[in-house]
Parts: sequence; structure tokens; C-alpha cells
Amino acid sequence: MKRKARKKKSARRARPAHLRNAVKAARRSPAPVDHVEALMSAGAAALGIAIDPAWRDGVAFNLRLMLKLAAALEAFPLPDETEPAPVFNA
Amino acid sequence: MLDTPALDFAWKAAADIATDVALGRVSASSVVEATLARIRERDPLLNSFTAVTEHRARLRAEALDATLARGEPLGPLAGVPFAVKNLYDVAGLPTLAGAKINRDLPPASRDATLIERLEAAGAVLIGALNMGEYAYDFTGENEHDGPSRNPHDLDRMTGGSSGGSGAAVAGGLVPLALGSDTNGSIRVPSSLCGLFGLKATYGRLSRARTFPFAASLDHMGPLARSARDLALAYDAMQGPDADDPVSADRPAEPISGLLDRGLDGLRIAVAGGYFKCKTAEALAAVDGVAAALGANRDIEFPQVERARAAAVIITATESTGLHLDRLRTRPNDFSPAVRDRLLAGAMVPASLAIKAQKFRRWYRTQVLKMFSEVDAVIAPATPCTAPLIGQDIIKIGDTTLAVRGNLGLYTQPISFIGLPVVAVPVPLTPLPIAVQIIAAPWREDVAFRIAHALEVKGVAAAPRPPL
Repeated sequence: MKRKARKKKSARRARPAHLRNAVKAARRSPAPVDHVEALMSAGAAALGIAIDPAWRDGVAFNLRLMLKLAAALEAFPLPDETEPAPVFNA
Repeated sequence: MLDTPALDFAWKAAADIATDVALGRVSASSVVEATLARIRERDPLLNSFTAVTEHRARLRAEALDATLARGEPLGPLAGVPFAVKNLYDVAGLPTLAGAKINRDLPPASRDATLIERLEAAGAVLIGALNMGEYAYDFTGENEHDGPSRNPHDLDRMTGGSSGGSGAAVAGGLVPLALGSDTNGSIRVPSSLCGLFGLKATYGRLSRARTFPFAASLDHMGPLARSARDLALAYDAMQGPDADDPVSADRPAEPISGLLDRGLDGLRIAVAGGYFKCKTAEALAAVDGVAAALGANRDIEFPQVERARAAAVIITATESTGLHLDRLRTRPNDFSPAVRDRLLAGAMVPASLAIKAQKFRRWYRTQVLKMFSEVDAVIAPATPCTAPLIGQDIIKIGDTTLAVRGNLGLYTQPISFIGLPVVAVPVPLTPLPIAVQIIAAPWREDVAFRIAHALEVKGVAAAPRPPL
């Protein structure tokens, strides 16, 4: 997504950009943010991966499924002391 | 020496071929020639091979025949032809792992450890086998090489990702093949093709010089048409391997001589709850096996849905870590289904992957407690018999599910904690389906004893397809 051209400085610019945007968004009462789409865009940018627009629905479908499964795991309380098992030793 | 080229080895057991070769009743060369002829004739139907190592196989067979002619002994797999899923390194071939991208790799310089060990026991490598792309697959379909086809019905899936392994053994091309199993990729094709398949305890069989998928879940193992042949291969491949960082430092524990011990003293239960079958064919198979074993109690694995969820998360994140550079540089060269899942896996936060690993430890502790009460648990291997190639959805009870992700419904929660499993085929009509015999870690001997007993009772068998 391209950034909009910078406007002239004013007193209001003292507010950080992310807060300004949040206030604007709140005033507009926008549609609910699609966090999966946002995560996908931000993750792709951070990792340097290009996701073709034609692939987005398929990727988003899989990511939603993975996050749903992860949420089921998160809902299961585990003691802090539980060791992860990245290399399983039977 | 009786050496009739016309001898048909297609349906002969590996154990019988080895005996005949070792006793000089037939030459290893004639076994290899008959095998190559069978592959030329039948593989265009099955699409199971991606490379046939003819020259190498002939040289190897000649060497075995020369050894015998000098009066020297041959190994327990003398002259037995076998083939490997194309994620195993085969010296001189690029290791495809079912991927278009890997065709650009240089040829492997050395065989995978398990190939070396089988050949040290006298077996003869015949070639490399079709598989689902990068093993991220339960169907046996492959966009680049075409689908491997089920010998029992050529319009149906083999199951995957070791689809070529299932087709080649069930179709009588070779008596033995190697596959890999991260979430079910040996047990699913064993079920849909009607074969015995082994996923040993994690760390038991070396993965050295194989192309990985999800490292903390990857297992290697054999598929065969009898428990005895499966055991012969397993015994030849066991033992620690310094080339595989997770190979267990345990000596080989051969089980071929223990198969006939029967069921005496074994406590066997049926997996309940999540594993209760919801299709007539899976129910018939499990009920038949349970009745033959006298298994009349149920036992429930704890939090199985979450175990499967954690397996999915770990698979997604580990496999994406493996393929991240290729996703950046060659995204168009993946098949869409694999690419979409890998890209999604890249976006899963690390905190959730660690949570899945923590759950894995908890689940393992709980499941191991079950094995103080029982020696083995039986469970369905797949929810259904082989779907049609290209079929997208399956109906399981009242629920409609995607085929691609759900053929491993019953296998994922077991491999998740590395338990040993022998998949045993139940020859239902018109299509076979398998049952998992699940044992405690390092007790493959228990699963093998049960598999062999079921075979002796006539409950388990690899049915011969009309080929």
C-alpha cells in the first residue's frame, strides 16, 4: 500500500502517526478490521514475501484455520513449568 | 540353478525371494529383470515411479550372484527389489521430494542411510517413487508428476504423501518400499492401498540424507504386503546413526524372530471417543480386528482434538521455516495447495508454535500413563476407503470435510508424540482400509506381534488387485 503524500506540518502533527490514524478510524466507525488480512499483509512485508492477490484467499483460509486451531490450544491451561518438546524424545 | 526369466515375482513375498536367491534356486539377476519388465508393463497405469535405476540394479544383482557363486553367504534380503519415495537421497539422482523446484538440485552424492542398510542386507534398489509435493499431502496427488493411482481402482487415490510407495507395493511392482510419515504419510497410503506399513518410534529409524518436511515430526519407514516382510526390512534398517541428530542411541532390537509369539499376555484396548469410527468401512475394520484380538475395552486418549491442532501448527511452522527462501524466490513453482499452506504457516506467530510444543509435552505425559494399563491400542488408520482422484470432500458421519486435510484425522494425534504404529490392512470389499496397532515407545515388537497374529487369523491381509 502506498503512503499518502505528506501534508503540511501543523500543531496537530505533534500526535504520533499511529494515534492520529486510530482516532480517524474511530471517528469514521469503519467496518470491523479483518485481523487475518492485516496479519497476512504485515507478515508478508516483514518477511519479504510477495503474496500475489490471486493467492490471498487461499492463504487467508489456511491462516484462519491455523489460528482457530491455535486458539483451541491457548484455551487449554498449562503450567508455566511445562517444557516445550521441539525435539521429541520418546 | 533354476533361472527362468518368465518366473513371476510380482506377488512373491520378500522373504520367499530372499530364500530362493540365497539357496540358488533363482538368480538375483532374474528377479531384477522380471521386476524391471513388470514396471515397464504396469507402471504406466500406476504412475508410481519417477526414476528407475535399471543400470544400478543390474550391477547390484550381478554382484550378489557373483557373491553366491563364490560360496559366500548373502543377507536376509538377498535379491529383494525395493524402491524409495523420492525424498530419499539416491546417489546420482536429484532428490525431488515431489517438487518442481528440487529438479534443479545437483544429483545426490550418497544414498540415504536406510538405502545403504537395506542393500547391505542384500536388497536391490530399483528406483525412486512418486509422492505428494514436499510431503505436505495426504492424497498421493502431485501436480508436477501426476497422481499415483490406486491399484485396486485406478480412478482412486493412493493416499499420501507416500503415494508411489503404496501403488508400487500394492500393484506388485516391488515387494517392499520405503516412505516417510510426518502426520500419517505411511499409514494413510497403507490404508487406502491395503498394505502393512510401519511408523516406528521417533528416533528409531535414521532420516539421514532424506529431504525433511517438519523435522520434529518426520519419521522414515517401510511398506510391505505382509507383517513378516515389514519386519525383515525393519530389522535390516535399525540401529543408531550419527548422521541423524535425532537418531536414538539404542542398539538394534530385531523382531523377525518374535512374530510367532502370539497374543498371550497382551492387554489390548480400542481407542474410544475421538477415534470412534463414523463410517461403515472404518467401523467394520476396527470391529473385526477388535473381535479377533479379544479387545473388549475402550480407552480414551486425552484432548485428542488439541493434539491434532498442535500437530497442524507445528507442521505448518516447521515446514515454513524450511521453505522460507523458496517462498521468496520461487513461489510460482510450488503447487497452489502447498504454497497456500506454507505461506499461511509463515504468518503464525512463534508464541503459538511454542504453545503447541508445550502442549505436546503435556499430551505425551498423559498418553504414556495409558500404557501402564494396556500394551497396545487399536484405532482406525483413515476415516474412509480410497476417495476418487481429484475428490475434494468426504462425508464422515454427519460432517462434510475436506479430503486433503482430513485423511490424516486418526494418524496425526499418534505420530505427534512419536509412538510406534503398524498399520494392518483389512481386505474389505470393494476396497481395503487399515487399522493402526499403536504401542508404547520402543515397543514395536508388540505392534508386530499383533499384526502378525491378525494375519495368521486371516483378519489382516494385503489384497491382490486385478492387475
